[in-house]
Amino acid sequence: MTNILSGLVLLVFSAVFWLGADAIPKSPLSGSVGADGLPKLLAVTLAVLSVGLILQSWLLMRRSTAAGKPVAVGGEGEEPPRRHMRAFGILAIGFGFAAIFEYAGYFASVAVLLIAVAIFYGVRSSRKLLVYGLAGAAVFYLIFVKLLGVVMPTGEIPGLSTWL
Amino acid sequence: MLEHLSYVLQGASNWQTLIAAIVGVLWGMLGGSLPGISTAIAMSLVLPFTFGMDPAAALVMLGAVYIGSEYGSSIPAILIRTPASGSSAATVVDGYAMHKQGRGGEALGLSLVGGTVGGLIGLLMLTFMAQPLSKVALLFTPPAYFSLGVLGISVIASVSRGAVLKGLIAGVLGLMMGTIGTDPLSGVSRFTFGTPELLDGVPVIVVMMGIFAISELMDQAADGGLDNLTIEKKSSRLKLPSLKTLWRLRVAQLTGVIMGLIEGLTPGGGGSIAAFMSYNLSRSWSKEPEKFGKGSEEGVIAPETANNVVALTALIPTLAFGIPGTGTAALLLAAMLIHGLQPGPMLFSAHPDVVYKLFGGLFIANIGMFLFGLVLLTPVIWLVNRPKAYLRGAIFVLIFSGVYSADGSTVHLYILLGIGLFGYLLRVLGFPFLPFVLAVVLGYMIESNYRRSLLITGGDHIVFVQDYLSLTFLVIAALFVFTSMYSQLREKRQQSAEESAAQLNAHV
Repeated sequence: MTNILSGLVLLVFSAVFWLGADAIPKSPLSGSVGADGLPKLLAVTLAVLSVGLILQSWLLMRRSTAAGKPVAVGGEGEEPPRRHMRAFGILAIGFGFAAIFEYAGYFASVAVLLIAVAIFYGVRSSRKLLVYGLAGAAVFYLIFVKLLGVVMPTGEIPGLSTWL
Repeated sequence: MLEHLSYVLQGASNWQTLIAAIVGVLWGMLGGSLPGISTAIAMSLVLPFTFGMDPAAALVMLGAVYIGSEYGSSIPAILIRTPASGSSAATVVDGYAMHKQGRGGEALGLSLVGGTVGGLIGLLMLTFMAQPLSKVALLFTPPAYFSLGVLGISVIASVSRGAVLKGLIAGVLGLMMGTIGTDPLSGVSRFTFGTPELLDGVPVIVVMMGIFAISELMDQAADGGLDNLTIEKKSSRLKLPSLKTLWRLRVAQLTGVIMGLIEGLTPGGGGSIAAFMSYNLSRSWSKEPEKFGKGSEEGVIAPETANNVVALTALIPTLAFGIPGTGTAALLLAAMLIHGLQPGPMLFSAHPDVVYKLFGGLFIANIGMFLFGLVLLTPVIWLVNRPKAYLRGAIFVLIFSGVYSADGSTVHLYILLGIGLFGYLLRVLGFPFLPFVLAVVLGYMIESNYRRSLLITGGDHIVFVQDYLSLTFLVIAALFVFTSMYSQLREKRQQSAEESAAQLNAHV
């Protein structure tokens, strides 16, 4: 069933991609095949493969049902939604970091990220955790900003950016 | 010839390539020993830092990470039954069995020596085979290059076990991602949605780190448990094998060399396939096959030799044709393209210094791996024993810092996370991401040669069939795909028949 749904989503995506390719401006500098040539070819190829995936999965499902076997819905082990929630949780932490990065500056953002990931994995909030976050941020700051000379944002928090 | 030798010596003695080799192999061993940090992730984490380096030093650093990581990943495989990457999965069986018998140090020694010998043999093959093979590429026309790219993606898609269609879909999605940016021929922008940061396309480094590293972090988070298995320092003292032992194990090492060469040359092959195949082959040729699975020395040295041979021989098709022999070699190809180096015969004539310095640097990396392997076990064990909650945070910071340092764009951080989500979805839905990665790296080559071919013929696609090389590649690609699909179908039918028979017997 998951494969059939994936196939349908990909089929819709291939149509959207085709429309996007069609909207690419034509240029007199293009040859016989313009900038939209390969994208359109890829959209058609994806559509064909998606239909193939849908058909293959449907035939397998039919065979399984005919043999009296339960049809797998997807997910293994514990409840799939809870498993994926954890994955999205770590991703959300990443998006949070990207959101505060330029405002808070490199040092503060890294400290927050280190602490947030540790808490996410079950480490209890404590002074030790705060020290770990700050020390870790200091190490990365020294490596990237001082040693490698990478220009990282200093942030817009008054006082903090001056101090750094 | 003498000029080439002087470049090799320069590569082995120049301070930039020396530092790159040493730092690369150290990071490879440390990073590679961390479960969850595959060789590809270890390389992708270092890739942004190679941007400002001399091209030869950049390639040496990445190659050294590759080499070091192949040994590093065997350490947890042997000591805590946890392969840090797929290529050391074959070592777990007998390596861990040896450790349980109190012979963990011997297993580590076999892995280190087997890896070093394999790496040096692989380097010799790379040095002598890459340039002659690249001359074959002079016969290639634009249609042939296009079809070669299609063949590369098709082969990798077809080795996606039980999921050929999904592999092909992943390849097409990768090519689609490659169309984002400015059209190379007409200068028109495609799929940029008005974002200036996308005019140059999605940077390969962002794709690599998103697909490999971010999706891995998400996958580890989804697994939930922090498997804080620790290594006991006292039972892990390294013990090198004697020359007599190495001579006794020569057949096992030979199987590693043979499988490593075959898999390294084959697009879509890789360390894990070579490791398992050499394990099986050495068991077939062994005088004591009953020892396999119970602590056989051959069962450790064969896959570990194969791993390190593949690390070098995978560079042969990468340098000669621009078709990476493994997914990890695709990262090296990405680095070459970033530094403006075009693989193929022109690489050897236009940049012989880069190529031969690379060989010299990789020689140092191999020797470095052996020397550091003698002394690094304690810090490696310390690192592996760190609580995962802190290690994963540090890896997250490393990823973001690496991507941001490439061009100072916060937009790329968001794109990185988006690609990471995409990579996680590929894993969850059972789509292999190696064809996707390869398609992103080969996308420009495929499209530019496709368009060039059609410019020559005024838009007539018959050119891909008229050119004999192009036709050959397309036929081989089709054969690979259809043969794999047929095998997949036959396996499923066989499985169904066996299940039905089992059900029938149960009722009787």
